[in-house]
Amino acid sequence: MIGPSIVIKGTVSGDEDLLVQGRVEGKIELNEHVVSVGESGRVAADIFAKAVNIDGEVTGDITGNEKVVISKSGNVRGNIVAPRVTLEDGAIFKGSIDMDPGDAAVKKVSLAPGVSSSSSGSDDGSPAFDLKSNG
Amino acid sequence: MTAKQTSKLLSSLFSRIDIEERLTVLHIGPALPETVEYFSNFRCKLFFVDLFSELPQSSDEEGAPSLEEQFAGLLDFPEGTKFDLCLFWDIFNFLDSIAIAAFLGELRPYVTSSTLAHGFAAYKRSTPQTGHLYGIADQGTVNIRPRGQLMSTYTPHAQNELKSRLDYFGISRSVLLPDSRLELLFSISQPGKLA
Repeated sequence: MIGPSIVIKGTVSGDEDLLVQGRVEGKIELNEHVVSVGESGRVAADIFAKAVNIDGEVTGDITGNEKVVISKSGNVRGNIVAPRVTLEDGAIFKGSIDMDPGDAAVKKVSLAPGVSSSSSGSDDGSPAFDLKSNG
Repeated sequence: MTAKQTSKLLSSLFSRIDIEERLTVLHIGPALPETVEYFSNFRCKLFFVDLFSELPQSSDEEGAPSLEEQFAGLLDFPEGTKFDLCLFWDIFNFLDSIAIAAFLGELRPYVTSSTLAHGFAAYKRSTPQTGHLYGIADQGTVNIRPRGQLMSTYTPHAQNELKSRLDYFGISRSVLLPDSRLELLFSISQPGKLA
């Protein structure tokens, strides 16, 4: 763990999971492990990890080999690459998300039953009207 | 609090997209959890640009960046990026005709003749501001959340006015919703203007 009063400038690497409660500027490389940025954590670095959980602030690109989760207190500005990304309610995110859930997930969606084209309206019971089709 | 609204056009939109291919999506507005969750089922790259939080404004002040320069800074995507799908939810209600032209002008390099778009807009100028944020719950349902506060830059266009201001985009389908709002499907109507 990197405690709340600790500031690290440079590359953080190793062979165990990491919890950042302090500040890191540079790069975090823990490709086989979980990186968590706690609520007091402030990271200005690119992160490479198996999984990344963010409760604090991250400015930088994030690569998660399995998943990236931004919690309700998380604030991320950067680009994310991961098979799956989850934003919780209240999370703030600016940037891009590059996801590839794999063949099985994509096929599951493509085989899902379609939505009837005759469905219309809203939850207040008011109808919706298709106005026109210009081809 | 999240309300749900049936969408007649999202299913139509996704039926026109090969979801087994990799998608590149532009989302204008803040990232909401349900939209990320929905697209997590696809091979895709999502670009979130929250124009609502940093809406470009024209200024007469000397040295102030032009609208084009402001949009260019906000729509600064990697070289070669081409969007399959753009989600314009409500943004045209907050841009005047000059800003729409600047926005579409800066978006032009990232659009192809097969780019599709979905959006919400006002049906007429008197349509009141709803202050909604939108997210995709599924192909037939849009989640609607309150934005928090109404924006002073609300300048809704009547449908015909908007249609005439969309440059290379055209409105291929529209559905009248409650509160005099529209759900819209856009496609490229004038591919010659993309060159």
